[in-house]
Amino acid sequence: MAHTWRKVWKTFWRYKALFLMLVPGMVYLFINNYMPMFGLTIAFKDINYAKGIWRSDWIGLKNFEFLFISKDAWRITRNTILYNGVFIVLNTVMAIGVAILLNEVRKKFLARFYQSVLLLPYLISMVIVGYLVLALLNLENGFMNKVILPAFGIDPISWYTKPEYWPYILTIVNLWKNIGYLCIIYLAAIVGIDPEYYEAATIDGATKWQQIRSITVPLLMPTIIILTLLAIGRIFYADFGLFYQVPLNSGPLQPTTDVIDTYVYRALITLGDIGMSSAAGFYQSLVGFVLVLVSNLIVRLKDKDQALF
Amino acid sequence: MKKNKLALISLMMALILFITACNSSGGGGNTSSGSGGNSSSSSGGSAPAEVVMAYLNFGDATDVQLVEDEINKITREKINVVVDLMPIDIAAWQQQTNLLLAGNEKVDLIVSSAFFNYSTQVSRGQLLELDDLLEQYGQDIKGTMPDAIYNGTRINGKIYGIPSIRDFGADYGMVMRKDLVDKYNIDLSKVKQWSDLTEVFKVIKQNEPGMAPLAPTTQTYQPARAMYMPEIDPLGDSLGVILIDDQDMKVVNLYELDLYREKIRLVREWYEAGYIYTDAATTQETSANLVKAGQAFGYFNNMKPGYAVQEGQLTNHEMVTVALSDVVIQSTGASSFMISIARNSTDPVAAMKFMNLLYSDADVMNLLTNGIEGKHYVKKDNGFIAKPEGVTETGYQFNQWEIGNNFLTYVWEGQDADIWEQTKKFNESGKVSPALGFTFDQGPVKSEVAAVTNVQNQYLVGLESGTLEYEMIDKFIEELKAAGIDRIIEEKQRQLDEWAKANGKK
Amino acid sequence: MRSNDMNQTLVNIFFILASAACIFPFLLLFIASFSSEQSIIANGYSLFPSEFSLEAYKYLWSNFDSIGRSYGITVLITAVGTSAGLFISALLAYPLSRTDMPLKNTLSFIVFFTMLFNGGLVPTYLIYTEVFHIKNTLWALIIPGLLTNGFFILLIRTFFRNSIPKEIIESAYIDGASEFKIFFRIVMPLSLPILATIGLMLGIGYWNDWFNGLIYITDSKLFSLQNLLNRMLQNIQFLQQTNLDGRGQTANLPTNGVRMAMAVIGIVPILLLYPFFQKFFVKGLTIGAVKG
Repeated sequence: MAHTWRKVWKTFWRYKALFLMLVPGMVYLFINNYMPMFGLTIAFKDINYAKGIWRSDWIGLKNFEFLFISKDAWRITRNTILYNGVFIVLNTVMAIGVAILLNEVRKKFLARFYQSVLLLPYLISMVIVGYLVLALLNLENGFMNKVILPAFGIDPISWYTKPEYWPYILTIVNLWKNIGYLCIIYLAAIVGIDPEYYEAATIDGATKWQQIRSITVPLLMPTIIILTLLAIGRIFYADFGLFYQVPLNSGPLQPTTDVIDTYVYRALITLGDIGMSSAAGFYQSLVGFVLVLVSNLIVRLKDKDQALF
Repeated sequence: MKKNKLALISLMMALILFITACNSSGGGGNTSSGSGGNSSSSSGGSAPAEVVMAYLNFGDATDVQLVEDEINKITREKINVVVDLMPIDIAAWQQQTNLLLAGNEKVDLIVSSAFFNYSTQVSRGQLLELDDLLEQYGQDIKGTMPDAIYNGTRINGKIYGIPSIRDFGADYGMVMRKDLVDKYNIDLSKVKQWSDLTEVFKVIKQNEPGMAPLAPTTQTYQPARAMYMPEIDPLGDSLGVILIDDQDMKVVNLYELDLYREKIRLVREWYEAGYIYTDAATTQETSANLVKAGQAFGYFNNMKPGYAVQEGQLTNHEMVTVALSDVVIQSTGASSFMISIARNSTDPVAAMKFMNLLYSDADVMNLLTNGIEGKHYVKKDNGFIAKPEGVTETGYQFNQWEIGNNFLTYVWEGQDADIWEQTKKFNESGKVSPALGFTFDQGPVKSEVAAVTNVQNQYLVGLESGTLEYEMIDKFIEELKAAGIDRIIEEKQRQLDEWAKANGKK
Repeated sequence: MRSNDMNQTLVNIFFILASAACIFPFLLLFIASFSSEQSIIANGYSLFPSEFSLEAYKYLWSNFDSIGRSYGITVLITAVGTSAGLFISALLAYPLSRTDMPLKNTLSFIVFFTMLFNGGLVPTYLIYTEVFHIKNTLWALIIPGLLTNGFFILLIRTFFRNSIPKEIIESAYIDGASEFKIFFRIVMPLSLPILATIGLMLGIGYWNDWFNGLIYITDSKLFSLQNLLNRMLQNIQFLQQTNLDGRGQTANLPTNGVRMAMAVIGIVPILLLYPFFQKFFVKGLTIGAVKG
């Protein structure tokens, strides 16, 4: 026993500087994230503040019921997963594409200009985006109905009552809003690639396209993997602003725009039940967690260093 | 190797815990109840008791501190209490009050409402019972309002909130531009029921292109709603209602009733004829703004004495109203705005004493609702008050209907001099729902409520604005049933019957 | 060489279109903030409104005290929060990136776990207000956002691991440098791209945050810019959605125009500062270091 402790102490001492570096961050995470973890129990309790959180009664899974019993419940789960799946794939591909293209622009001044402009949508809040989309899709005055559709000889469409268009609309809005932000990360990674690789490849006669396939993308893999893994962890969470405010909370659109977060929000406005909101969060976290564990395992099998943990 | 790892981890954890422990000042993230009253401070000792009052704020509250100081001059003398005003913006209200009431922060008085989860707050032990306190320290309160209202907030027989004195009921009708009514010689005395308005709309539509005769009141308050509301008592959430004249109090599904179908059909006809604002279901503008911009002629709403004047100020046109229903007082008439004492209160006695002043002392009420004389308003010779000359923003805005006895306050210029008398008469003339005072506890059926609310959201706005086809109403009912509305109605009937028995109504 | 020029042209065309898609809505927003309320309600947003007006900006100007103050607060918390957050994140990410670090996988897991499971708003609030008493202080605006759930930490870790060649660190060891020296003198300078990236993201996060203010601050002297704007916005909205005893003050509140104007003054500072960050996205920084 003493022998083990001494070994432990030796390892610790050898790396003491590194361990020291961990301390501020870990303390913060502990305070900010781990201390409040007792709140996860709220999902399983019937909170009565007169008794206090600790002494309130346990009620098992009753708070989770509302997420599963109605037929809407399956619809919202389906919507959430489908949208997020598409978002992950599409946004990644597009962000990498844009980052690579940006890197190719010869005039640096122009490149920086484009980069700033692409970031603009990210800075606009979803509420305002909702108004902008309304300006586009308004039945009477909208740009689409007044200008674009007539140019093709199509009748005006009542966008806000036709659910079938919205998967496309929301995907485009999501892409537009996030592309500038996402491509920054990839750009930072691309910039870190040694140009010698490219020079050598050019000398060997490789085309741009081949260079991208064999140099850029493989070297970006670590970044791609980690961003994808992190995104998978949040696959059950949806951008509330996108799904609630952009469709202007229009009822007929619910079949294709209702996701877990909007469903929970509506329920909670009427009920104000902290147990239920905690249960919803727990459910979303749990699913994401399981999925990440699985994906991480797969990544580990291929390349140990690239896994999250 | 495994042992090494374990040991290393525990060593690190210990280090971190140690550092955190050194930082956390004073124990207790525990949320034990803190309702004990500190009697020492209220028994006339030298230091005045402090009472924190949280209330809804909508406007400019820069001068709150000044007003607070003036109020305290009075309260210190009269009841040895100082009050600390805590205005909370409406945008933050639900979040902040939830958090305030979850912990142990000092808050004594807090505005409560059936619209803001009053019954949930009570069932979760966040508000104190007031009966004893009222008897001992709040004697002036009872006499200021009708008994039915005073008792209209009881849950399980106990009072947890005291209603503010305002208009408890409403009559429903249309408010519209007077200048256009005069221009086209529209005879409003001929308009006795909702369908009579069709003729009026026709006239406007023909003669004022680009102006919709009828606009929605807000995106969620569409025309049909004003039409069926006066005939029922929504019992809080409209999921299971009673007809307002039904003394037997049978709970039924509103959306299956003939009266509902009638209204939806009428509204659909209006929409198809072009009488309703085309973007009614998606507009983010309020009716007043639409009228102000010349886009609409008028809208429906629940009204009260002085309503036309009030709307006139918002729309910048002179407005005239026509009432199309009786005055009704529904089950939430009393509990729509109340003041309660929070569980966290450290001195409920002092809080009750201050509450008592709010119902009996004109000086305190005027300070609270109107601000400081000379600074935020000036008294005119005719007894009215108005903003000081040339001032548009006074630095203090309050919303009277929230708190206290408004009948004690001055009348703003522009309103009728006897507006409070009118309001009192208005209240007394109202048809009182047999369920006044009943509050539904959604707890037992909360999963169904969640599912049904989602269905409601999908169809209600479309149906009630006339944008959806009339046939959708059947689909709506079908989905409501699938989501469990019948269970909710059952539960509501059960609670209602229990309440009725306990209160001697059955 | 010609195909290269063609490529350049194509690339530029692509970006011009993309930029248009991004600028156009913003332009719309910008112009709407100078349009009169009536023209917006009657005709919707347009690049050529029927009526111009400075109502929105006049309204904001009349609130200059509170807005100016909130600008100051926002700048302060963004500066402090971003630098502190960046520093702590990098410090935490570095040991995790070292392949020889014991326990690195367990620790990475601990970091990552926080991204998925959250105790919820109420417990977090209780801890911060009752144990640490930061309600209504500047700390409430800075601390809760510091590490943003470890997403940034893991990104930085990835960058350290893949873009800092091991040889550099090893040669520094051999030269006798301490861990801290290696970190500050070698690793950090080489990581400018990722630090700039994360710094930007943290910065934007702090700048746009209104939520922390919403729940932790009731003292109006401590409102950050977005907090103030959002409150104003939502208060105005609520005022319009309920029928209150209108007192005339509420009659002329510009709404659409004000919303747009507020969005504009919230966004513009970031746009002006962004070019400074871009300096760090420069090739050759890493390479020079390796060679040298």
